[in-house]
Amino acid sequence: MLGYEPGDSLAHHLDPRTKLAVQLAFAVAAFAHTDPRGLAVLTGVTALALASARLSPVSVLWGYRFLLPLLAAAVLFELVTLGPPWLDPAAAVDPLLASYRTLLIVGVAAGYVRTTAARESRAAVQWAIPGKPGRLLGAGVGLVFRFLPLLRRDLAAIRDAERARLGDERPTRERLRTVGAAGLRRAFARADRLAMALTARCFSWNATLPRIRLRAVDAPALALAAALLASVFV
Amino acid sequence: MLELDSVTHRYGEDADAATAVDGVSLTIPDGEFLVLCGPNGSGKSTLVRHLNGLLEPDAGRVLVDGTEASEDPVAARTTVGMAFQEPRDQFVAATVGGDVRFGPENLGLDHAEIDRRADAALAAVGLDGRENDRIETLSGGERERLAVAGALAMEPNHLVLDEPFTGLDSPAREGLLDRLRGLHADGTGLIVVTHDLRELLGDADRVVCLADGEVVVDASPDDAAAELPEYGVRVPDQPAAGN
Amino acid sequence: MSTATDSVDLVGDEVAVNLVRAALVAALMGAFAFVSFPNPLNPAVPVTAQVLGVFLAGIYLGPAWGGFAMLLYVLAGALGAPVFSGASAGLGEIFGPTGGYLVSYPFAAALIGAVVHGVDGLVDPEGVSFPRLVGAMTAGTVVIYALGIAVYWYYLDTSLVAAIVGAGLAFVPAEAVKMAAAVGIVRSDEVQAT
Repeated sequence: MLGYEPGDSLAHHLDPRTKLAVQLAFAVAAFAHTDPRGLAVLTGVTALALASARLSPVSVLWGYRFLLPLLAAAVLFELVTLGPPWLDPAAAVDPLLASYRTLLIVGVAAGYVRTTAARESRAAVQWAIPGKPGRLLGAGVGLVFRFLPLLRRDLAAIRDAERARLGDERPTRERLRTVGAAGLRRAFARADRLAMALTARCFSWNATLPRIRLRAVDAPALALAAALLASVFV
Repeated sequence: MLELDSVTHRYGEDADAATAVDGVSLTIPDGEFLVLCGPNGSGKSTLVRHLNGLLEPDAGRVLVDGTEASEDPVAARTTVGMAFQEPRDQFVAATVGGDVRFGPENLGLDHAEIDRRADAALAAVGLDGRENDRIETLSGGERERLAVAGALAMEPNHLVLDEPFTGLDSPAREGLLDRLRGLHADGTGLIVVTHDLRELLGDADRVVCLADGEVVVDASPDDAAAELPEYGVRVPDQPAAGN
Repeated sequence: MSTATDSVDLVGDEVAVNLVRAALVAALMGAFAFVSFPNPLNPAVPVTAQVLGVFLAGIYLGPAWGGFAMLLYVLAGALGAPVFSGASAGLGEIFGPTGGYLVSYPFAAALIGAVVHGVDGLVDPEGVSFPRLVGAMTAGTVVIYALGIAVYWYYLDTSLVAAIVGAGLAFVPAEAVKMAAAVGIVRSDEVQAT
């Protein structure tokens, strides 16, 4: 599973806003240039992004392996025809390019995921969306990061208890109901305690944001983002 | 100084309201180590949640350094730090350092001050150098100590701990207790809520026992030890000598 | 040691509770991504519980906070929390062929919440009629698949038929099972709405 890991790579030292700008600019450029030449250039940019995060392309592909059947299906569906000539390679070219584009965008995004801590992302959200909406979104995103492992463990425990009672033989609807109800009940119980703890620690609208700062290393990355955006109009 | 004056708290509406706290009056001086005990459901947790304005009394008054807690909740919550049961459900960040900063950030302090408080709070509970650790990798004792650090980062005069020893093994209990002794020696008042006194008796200045929402014992540890078993509170087999 | 406390603008208790519930429903939705069941109608495509999370967000949190919960889910996932299918994360998912589904979740949850609760405060879901619950979830499902299929189609440059078959038909029957499960949860008395 691809997730944040503390480290010392170039990408770790970039400001989260810079990394978000590169990703967005990359996605826009990739949509504008979904042709062999454009994608070849963008493959180079992707390689650069992965190298700056010290991520191997193989581990990224493995992390997103569930995407592959979906992409392959789109290509196959166009490649195969229901009558002679049975195979239509020309029709499959566009889905193939689009599928490859997906992998590139996902690869660049993987660099962000690996190198950006939840605190930095939260600060970037609150920088981009000021005021109370930003505060709610920022605080909420932080809580999702914090409680995801806990709720996963809750669900795993609920399923184990189910299995112990021969739950595997029950219909899917029943099993979804049991897991859903028990999961929601536990989540709400945790929420009530957590809300009390937030209040006790003066949860406020005008809190100090975690420190984020543009530095010299951000300059070339921001220039890259600008170049990607400019390429759309070329 | 914390003053509870005839505090009553009910849950529920009118007819079927249950009285959790029933006319409790207590005065807690700065720096006091008070153990609040009593059987499950005796109203301990409800009572302490009045001290920082999380709950408001249905009757009576709660004064924190002379000001009603509901009048200035920020002052009440920075004067009275609180760590709850189930520490897992009170952490707001994925890492130790992120969590301990939450309180100071809410106070709008500058980064240098936030760093200073975070470092001091983590050092006080022996978690210094663990800033980047993920919270789910902590042991039970470390989690409890982090909950204490989160409250300490508000630099409170009083620290309320609700059942801090639940589920901890003996070394973890001892480790936490050591830290609490240190805090007390440095002048922080402690209010420890528990249904199980064991090793606490030797350190406390005062023991208050609640039953059915009323104060039934309010005495020095030595005097209290004889009366507590009557109310279902465990005490050490050999009552520890006072200080 | 009190700080200068006048400048601290506390978040009210009610907003704090709603925010926390929304965040935990978003996290639960992420945890659902790890839970898959055999699909009774199509064994090749396992059922994940995620859309059930969208249903429950709208039903239990209402239009505003239910929609907000799903917004948190999408945003946290985009920023690296492993909450998307297969425990993946990243902005790439939003710009991927299944991004339409993700983007649809906040709208679907808000719509479900609006049909179940109206726009005028929240009601107890247990008291909501069966047709209204099912109608709400059906409307939500239509939103999810309309956006999901449209993006898949546009994104992968396939024919519309290929998109509908590949991204819709294979999954839709399983949604009926999740609706039945959601109705069961609401009726089971196991979850307190407030």
